[in-house]
Amino acid sequence: MNNGNPIPQDQRWQALLTRSTPTFVGDTTLPFGFLTQTLARIKSESREREIFERIGLRSLFVAISVLIAIVGVSISVQLQSRSDFDPAVKSLLQADDVPIS
Amino acid sequence: MDLPIDVTDCLRRWKDGDESAAEELILHLHPVISRIVRTHLPRRDHEDDIIQEILMKTFSRLHQYKGDAPISHWVSRLALTTCLDRLRAQKIRPEVRWTDLTPEESTAFDAAWLGSTSPDATDAIHARDLVDKLLSSLPPEDRSLILLVDLEGRSLEEISQSTGWGISKIKMRLFRIRAQLRKMIQNLEQRK
Repeated sequence: MNNGNPIPQDQRWQALLTRSTPTFVGDTTLPFGFLTQTLARIKSESREREIFERIGLRSLFVAISVLIAIVGVSISVQLQSRSDFDPAVKSLLQADDVPIS
Repeated sequence: MDLPIDVTDCLRRWKDGDESAAEELILHLHPVISRIVRTHLPRRDHEDDIIQEILMKTFSRLHQYKGDAPISHWVSRLALTTCLDRLRAQKIRPEVRWTDLTPEESTAFDAAWLGSTSPDATDAIHARDLVDKLLSSLPPEDRSLILLVDLEGRSLEEISQSTGWGISKIKMRLFRIRAQLRKMIQNLEQRK
């Protein structure tokens, strides 16, 4: 243990940080052209995002409509086939005189 | 430093398509982002590109900002996360050896001692390059953690709040980082 004495390596690390402090300070002014460039990028990205959102919403709407149509068609086909026997089965039933409920 | 702007008004105007609001926000947030990028990323990284990337992320996620904390805090977290992602993409270097140092960095190492003369801008840059070299051997989170404590003077509670780590975890991590830094500096002192 170091008995509370500062460790030389820690001191050197701190001294290095202190010496390099000015390089960590952020810019207070914008670099030349930065604002114009950033604004242009923000505008074009938000426009792109809007387009993608619109396309996405449209495709979602189309997909849901198609899905609803498919479900509707399959349900109606199933209901129709349940009440309607196959002609061959129908004739067999008639031959045996089986009452059709 | 926070410039006196009405952030809520800026956000409303930006939503309504007012471009000058975006301009005001950029001017307000740039110094905050610049400081974080400069602290947490090595000196030679493409600073302006990263600042722009952070601003892009900020504007694309502005709808997520709830307004319960200053916008600079919200953006700081976004900036730090972006810096950490950037560092994660870089390879962690093996431990620095004396032969890895440039002559200027060797001089900076010898000059970094108590009682040494106050540095000029060039000395500061060489010292920074050496600091970056030492930090490049640490994992990204460790690198940011030691800078938050030793450079920015953040308290353990503050770091715990922003990272979600427990105090004991932070202490353990700091202990390990300091041991690693000591070992690297000791190796350099022995000119290994």
